[in-house]
Amino acid sequence: MKSMIKRNLLLYFRNHSGVFFSLMGALISFILYLVFLKKNMQSSWSQVPNSTILLDLWLIGGTLSITSITTTLSSLSQSVIDKEKHITQDLELTDAGPFRLQMSYLLSSTIIGILMQLIMFAIMLGYFYVTDKLTVTGGQFIDIFGLMIISSLLATAVNSLIIRYIHKSDNLNKVGTIVGTGAGFLVGTYIPIGSLPNFAQNLVKITPGSYVASLFRQYLMGNKLNNVFKNSVSSRNHFDRLMGIRLEWSHLLTQKETYLIMVLIFVGALILLIGSQWLQNRRQMYLLQEK
Amino acid sequence: MLLEAKHLTKTFGKYVAVNDLNLKIKKGSFTALLGPNGAGKSSTMNMLIGLSKPTSGELIYSDKIKLGVVFQNSVLDEMLTVQENLQIRAKQYRHVSKNKVNEVIQQLGLNEFTGQRYGTLSGGQKRRVDIARALLNDPDILFLDEPTTALDIQTRTAIWHLLQELQQSKELTIILTTHYLDEADSADDVYIIDHGMLIVEGTAADIKEQYAEDILHITTSDVDRLCKNSKISPIRKTTTQVIYSLSNSKDALEILTANKSLITNFEFRPGTMDDAFLALTGNEVH
Repeated sequence: MKSMIKRNLLLYFRNHSGVFFSLMGALISFILYLVFLKKNMQSSWSQVPNSTILLDLWLIGGTLSITSITTTLSSLSQSVIDKEKHITQDLELTDAGPFRLQMSYLLSSTIIGILMQLIMFAIMLGYFYVTDKLTVTGGQFIDIFGLMIISSLLATAVNSLIIRYIHKSDNLNKVGTIVGTGAGFLVGTYIPIGSLPNFAQNLVKITPGSYVASLFRQYLMGNKLNNVFKNSVSSRNHFDRLMGIRLEWSHLLTQKETYLIMVLIFVGALILLIGSQWLQNRRQMYLLQEK
Repeated sequence: MLLEAKHLTKTFGKYVAVNDLNLKIKKGSFTALLGPNGAGKSSTMNMLIGLSKPTSGELIYSDKIKLGVVFQNSVLDEMLTVQENLQIRAKQYRHVSKNKVNEVIQQLGLNEFTGQRYGTLSGGQKRRVDIARALLNDPDILFLDEPTTALDIQTRTAIWHLLQELQQSKELTIILTTHYLDEADSADDVYIIDHGMLIVEGTAADIKEQYAEDILHITTSDVDRLCKNSKISPIRKTTTQVIYSLSNSKDALEILTANKSLITNFEFRPGTMDDAFLALTGNEVH
């Protein structure tokens, strides 16, 4: 399995244009912010002290969440390509077997998701350090790194469900484009969730990535927000709600509740994944006998 | 017997791809499955290697048999080097020694391009790497699905020599499908299949002997007299030429000696696999 993971990583990183396009959604979010949105958002938050740094951190949170969604999807697409080119048949004739083969796709996708988030984080942090003197503490980095792992696992599980129903690499590209462009809106990064109409807000809330984004924002912005809103709980809540730092169900979700939701989505996706795999195996057995 | 197929049948809905096929593969033998496009060769192959289950019939393998497969389409990664491809595949097997990759590289003469990406290799080089990959687990039987399709004549010959060498030096049992008939000439056993059914089985020489007519082409000054002189009637004649299709060379000799003085030129061509094949499978295009 180790060598299959190595294979998947090599195939992902050697395809330079593939790497670039898998980051497209994240890069759009970053560049869109720099070129168009930053100025506008700064002026509407000008009464908040440190607004530039806060907005930079807010953007980083959302962009990392997009990164894990699009890069894991792109990595998982190798399994579709392998099926299409009959590489899967060759691999299934070895001693490795289908279970280990599937696991190797999932694990490599998780690893790629983590690596690409680290790379995007370095790029954005580097840029904002130069322009706005932005830094993060070691403690923050550890929290963020942990969340990157969880985010990557979650995105891999959810994307695997999507991938299951795609059998042609042609369709895969189409789905990749849709997810890449949609992700930025769905995790509330292009436009803050608070400025969206109700229906769109609900869409954001059913997107797993938006919970990841909210936790990233909490880790990145938490300390600074505590200082800024020291004397006003209600304006803090308003800010959190507007910017998607905490998502609102019946109340603003705590960190624990957010994690719980993510775990539930993860477990749910896994159950669906294993269930559908089981159904497919049964159907395949049936078809094989039929054939 | 290394592998035996009894009454192998495969249907897809109403379509019968393979119909009651019987095969016997001896250890160390070289078997060619011959047939036009859509004859059921690949369906047969897929059942033999275990990728699809027969609708009915039985496959009997000898104990603990290991199979190596060269697929029709390439199944290695274009973006990885030859060495990486082989190394990764080798790791997918439980009992493949560390040296095996280098061993197959030596054996198939891949040294010059082990560091090159698979996608940049020529068609012939790719095929050699594909065969090397199939040999990684020391198979008892090597299956090749149209290994020489789309290769130039030099490469085809080279691949063919390579396979024969493997068969002889390693006592490897080889089963391959092809629609290049001349290739079947050097097989120990030829199965000609059409419409999923076995039409004939035997050595290439036997099949040619039995089903391919020899062709005698005579240029003469007097067509009518020549025709009268021989008992056998020609299949075609023009104003200067007479063409016979004969079941053996003796008949040819007879015609030639009887008409010595009338013949200005002649050409005798023994029956080829092509003739046998066309005689057996007809001229229609599938």
